[in-house]
Amino acid sequence: MRLLPTPILAYFAIMAALPLFMGTSGLFYDAFQAIFVFSLVGLGLNVVTGFTGLLNLGMAAFMAIGAYTFAILTSDIYPFQIGFWWGIVATVVIGAVAGFLLGAPTLGLSGDYLAIVTMGFGEITLDVLKNLDAVTKGTQGINPLPRPTFGSWTLELQQERGWYWLLLGFVLLAVLAVRRLERSRSGRAWLSIREDALASQCMGIPPKRTKMIAFSTGSALAALGGALFAALLSSTGEPASYDFQVSILALCIVIVGGMGSVAGTLVGAVVMVGMNSLVLVKLADWAGAAGVGGASNVLASPNNWKYLIFGLALILVVRLKPDGLLPPRLEGGSG
Amino acid sequence: MSLLEVRGITMRFGGLTAVDDVTFNVTEGQIFAVIGPNGAGKTTLFNAITGVYEPTDGTVRFRGSPVRLEPDARLGFRAAVVAIVAGLGAFLAINIQELWTVGIAANYVLNQPFPWEKAVADVLHAARGVPFAWGVLPAILGAGVGAGTVVALWQRSRRTPDLIARAGLARTFQNIRLFTDLSLVENVLVGMDSRMRNGFWTNLLRLPAFSHERAWTEREALDLLQFVGLSERAHEAAGSLPYGHRRRLEIARALASKPAVLLLDEPAAGMNPSEMVELMELIRRVRDRGVTVILIEHHMKLVMGISDRIVVLQYGKLIGQGTPAEIRADRRCIEAYLGTEGEE
Repeated sequence: MRLLPTPILAYFAIMAALPLFMGTSGLFYDAFQAIFVFSLVGLGLNVVTGFTGLLNLGMAAFMAIGAYTFAILTSDIYPFQIGFWWGIVATVVIGAVAGFLLGAPTLGLSGDYLAIVTMGFGEITLDVLKNLDAVTKGTQGINPLPRPTFGSWTLELQQERGWYWLLLGFVLLAVLAVRRLERSRSGRAWLSIREDALASQCMGIPPKRTKMIAFSTGSALAALGGALFAALLSSTGEPASYDFQVSILALCIVIVGGMGSVAGTLVGAVVMVGMNSLVLVKLADWAGAAGVGGASNVLASPNNWKYLIFGLALILVVRLKPDGLLPPRLEGGSG
Repeated sequence: MSLLEVRGITMRFGGLTAVDDVTFNVTEGQIFAVIGPNGAGKTTLFNAITGVYEPTDGTVRFRGSPVRLEPDARLGFRAAVVAIVAGLGAFLAINIQELWTVGIAANYVLNQPFPWEKAVADVLHAARGVPFAWGVLPAILGAGVGAGTVVALWQRSRRTPDLIARAGLARTFQNIRLFTDLSLVENVLVGMDSRMRNGFWTNLLRLPAFSHERAWTEREALDLLQFVGLSERAHEAAGSLPYGHRRRLEIARALASKPAVLLLDEPAAGMNPSEMVELMELIRRVRDRGVTVILIEHHMKLVMGISDRIVVLQYGKLIGQGTPAEIRADRRCIEAYLGTEGEE
């Protein structure tokens, strides 16, 4: 019933306070900035797959579209230079339009066919980014990108805490938006399609339009995540940063957290991305310090085992908690 | 004038004719029953009426009009917009590299003001120089494909269940289809969707209209649950309801759209005698709300007890229609159906 139930409030309270105990730089910030970026992508996928039941295996493509839109419109190697904040706005709009353009002809497809189309879309986007080097600078990526400004004050790249809280703020906005939609006519229409597409249509819910809105919303959030990912690095990075693994990571976040659960998505991002950028990195350090792994023996480095560990995590969750760590709770009706 | 006119509906699946040239009228305020042995095509007929299937032949008219989208100016406008976007997109997709180089890369010097007018002029000049095979041809192809897709999609969406539901025909399903993970109220609110006006932005930004609509829809949903006798469990998951109650919830959900016609597909299936009596009572009360009821049913006691008019189907054909008394006296109907049920 409440817009922000206790688990979500607790999450934001803890996350907002954490940096106070973590110094001002270091691995912690790298990891949590990545966690917040992927929380945004996960929230987007949660709308598409968790709420509406459309399997989307191309979230990385929308991240890439967001990152490159932001980069092209703000970087000083191109004449547009609309600045950080307008860049973010434009990214969200372009992300939604991209979702709409992909969704318009394909959302009539059911289940697995849609998954295949979105997967193909991911690959095509990568190829286009790699080969359209006049615009995207190929594998080099577009850089540098501008920093966010607040009035006359600029958030510099080294100010890790500032970025941390900025990203957390974006996650909070996204959570509010998704929760508001979930607890409204729009969200109920999405859920009804997931629950029973035929019954939903027979109740007067136009399936195509409803799916399209979900798809665009999800794509816009993923694009926002991509833009912030690029802003954080001050570069889009190479196109391969948005490959199929990233789409799968987004899907893992939603599955591990709990399909259709906003709180679950946040937890899923902490677990999956935290494992990737915190636990594995630490393990690799220890292993290196203990004399195993390193350049001489790549197989012993935990970092190279990460997909195995991802797979294991996924299997464990599906076996032990099939609804995810924090499955959606039933909530009373509300507008 | 009849509320619902079914004219010569035929439904063929390959070589099988499931419904064969069925014609009948339903008058406003009736309880109208469709009976017949298993496999007679009753549910198929329902599906054809509610748009789940497009009938092979025949028409359904509701309040004198066929519920379907007709081609209009809006369709033409949409096709034109999509054609222009697709054509332009195809042209750009093929030529973007060159145009970008000519327009942007060649004119931009770091930290210098950008000569927008010159850039636009250069791009237009370069675009004119693009050879036919790389410029006009893809644009035409893209436009053709785009416009064609709009028309094709429209063809498929002419008579869909959502359109028919919004026109005022609501239904329930033979194998109950609730949204099991949603609460009872939410199930009813989904049914109410066609009467809600708030769009995406109103819900996202929580404009004043949002709380207003939330208040009245929730009140009405609770009233409907009260009407079917489920208001105590309003906030439980629909999946937790026992079987008999699920039917009632399905009826409440269908009524939420304020339909003129309610189609019930075997509402008494699997019910015990006392539940059936309650159901008969409920159906009467639905009719008294001014909703015309069409039902498929096997239980003769229920059908004969509440129907104003009955049609009998056998092997997809309509073999008789009339009041319950007339059906009881009709030899063909007795042979086809009533006789096989023994004393019931």
